[in-house]
Amino acid sequence: MENYVIAMAVSAGIYALMALGLNVIWGLAGMINLGAVGFFAIGAYITALATLKLGFPIWAGTILGTIGAALVGGGVALLTGRLRGDYLAIVTLGLAETIRVISSNMIWLTNGTDGLSGIPGPLRGSLSPTQFNLLYLGVVAAIVAVAYLLSERLAQAPFGRVLRAIRDDEQVAAVAGKHVMGFKVRAFAIGAAALGLAGALYAHYTSYIAPDIFVPLLTLYIKLALLAGGLGNNRGALIGAFVVVFFLESTRFVIPYVPGLSAVQGAALREFLIALLLLVLLRYNPAGLVPERLPRIAPS
Amino acid sequence: MTRHHRIAISRRRFVQATGALAAGLAMPAIGRAQGAPLQLGILTPLTGAGGFDGPRMLKAMKAVIDEVNAAGGLIGRKVDLVIEDDQTNPEAAVRAARKLIDVSKVPVIMGTWASAVTSAVAPLCWESKTFLTTVSGADSITLLPHQGYLIRTQPNNHLQAGKHAEFIAASGAKRVFIMSIQAPFAQPTQRRASEVLKQKGSEMVGGLIYEKEKTTYRSEVDQALKTKPDLVYLNGYAPDVTVILRDLYRAGYAGPRFAQSYAVTGKVLDALPPEVTAGVITVQPSADIDSPAFGLAAKRTGIAEPDSYETQATDWASLVSLGIAKAKEATGTGLRDNVRKISQGSGTKVYSAVEGLKLLAEGKEINYEGASGPCDFTDIGDIIDCKFRYNKIENGKPVFLKIA
Repeated sequence: MENYVIAMAVSAGIYALMALGLNVIWGLAGMINLGAVGFFAIGAYITALATLKLGFPIWAGTILGTIGAALVGGGVALLTGRLRGDYLAIVTLGLAETIRVISSNMIWLTNGTDGLSGIPGPLRGSLSPTQFNLLYLGVVAAIVAVAYLLSERLAQAPFGRVLRAIRDDEQVAAVAGKHVMGFKVRAFAIGAAALGLAGALYAHYTSYIAPDIFVPLLTLYIKLALLAGGLGNNRGALIGAFVVVFFLESTRFVIPYVPGLSAVQGAALREFLIALLLLVLLRYNPAGLVPERLPRIAPS
Repeated sequence: MTRHHRIAISRRRFVQATGALAAGLAMPAIGRAQGAPLQLGILTPLTGAGGFDGPRMLKAMKAVIDEVNAAGGLIGRKVDLVIEDDQTNPEAAVRAARKLIDVSKVPVIMGTWASAVTSAVAPLCWESKTFLTTVSGADSITLLPHQGYLIRTQPNNHLQAGKHAEFIAASGAKRVFIMSIQAPFAQPTQRRASEVLKQKGSEMVGGLIYEKEKTTYRSEVDQALKTKPDLVYLNGYAPDVTVILRDLYRAGYAGPRFAQSYAVTGKVLDALPPEVTAGVITVQPSADIDSPAFGLAAKRTGIAEPDSYETQATDWASLVSLGIAKAKEATGTGLRDNVRKISQGSGTKVYSAVEGLKLLAEGKEINYEGASGPCDFTDIGDIIDCKFRYNKIENGKPVFLKIA
């Protein structure tokens, strides 16, 4: 049981890191990114290839993955700078799918749909599975904590204020003399970096990645985490990620107690239940569990 | 003015609710006591792309375990199946497998279907010394460093593609075109089939790999027909093969088409008009239908002719039951060390778990002959030999051709 709880906490931590990243892009800067899983995939593939094929140490691969995702993120923001709302959502969704299709077909590099296995994890093999999980939980928790503090700093800093201004009205921000494009690119790159880092952490944790992992469903989980927690709020992102993993996992234990269900019906009911829990949560907390609190402007 | 009507899920209530659910999670541990049922894990797709095969495999495994329970269970305990849905998704499957391994503490996980799911779950299994049985066909799976904690009853691509090509060449086809879905087996299958066709005096005139989930494969079909093939080998899954069969028919191709039977399911035959599927040859790994194990599986499941997945699932449940009985303990390591002692060798041939359990109890050596094949495994967990069953579709129904 403990090992399972630890492993799920690691999953939730990775989700939380993704939620923090997406929060910068979507929550603060208002750029709807439906391609979160694409940046997650970039981080995972870069570090997997760097450690497996080039013999890089794990930390170096992880940093490379993070930087790689950030660069692609910045590039995407440059290309799509003029797109807003639904249009940006479509492009980013397409980008993530493109990355998945490329990883399926560039067999010489990514091993195609067979995926890459045997990605090293820190001290994996010399520790028992429980010890490894605990160590990894420590690493993930530390990284999430740092990411959270940085995100908080960023949200409160003048930089975060400009992002919120851009989110609320791009033109006003531009009129106020802000270089909107520059802010968007930086916000996208920062968010993508967190997503890529999460991908790298995932790869070293599970030791196996394949294109089938990087499906839009994961993006939706992270979106739901943000919505459930409270969009635009870092604390909300953290709580939301844990809530989503909790919903995903706790339903597993409830279903067997429902009498008269076949396993197939149970599986379907479980998915239904997850949706229902999220709907109920959002019905009563439309702004999420921890709604964004905008800083008061002190009367002069 | 908006009414601020928050039925507050306050922090306290949230914590209370969370605590209650967490207590619920801990319950199975409290219920565990001496003489409690022996739990075996099943991780199979119940939703997603594998949602057609998973439930049928599950049914076959249940049927075997019911029989074992009726005969007194294993090592003095009743057997319970703990079932999780892998959602045909590696990320979800890993979470489900963790639950099976760490919470239910199962010695074995049976039933992974998609190759990516098996590859993702396998490291968890061997690290936690949990045995894994699978139908995934990708050659790379048995090459993983699984330390013996994995067997697969599905012939790997190399074995399948070679046998398919032998059959195709013997059918008289000289110019073969192969259309494969983008999947781990695509390239190895094309390579091996091309090799064997050449040896047998036929030729692979071309091949392509297509994307899944397209609504039309017209351009792929045109590309194939340009080579004037006298047989088209469709190496894909049901959704795409359905579309390709339709597109081939529309393009006026009526020559032989060759596909795995899992891609031309009853559902596919119902969905397409009979003239579109007429003449399609399907192949599947098969038991010798004269094998008593096959007849027993049919009787047990109530299915007249169990297919490859149902028979393989039958064999996992049987092999695992016999392995546990032989090891006299329900552990992954016990299974790893004993599965070959009951599946191959010079012992008395048995065709069902119950029959084998009886002989094991008498201290005899046994050799389980399965419903899916002889169930003899190499050191890395691949089956050594397997028969194939060929059907031809006529009037929307599969008609038996031969088993070879």
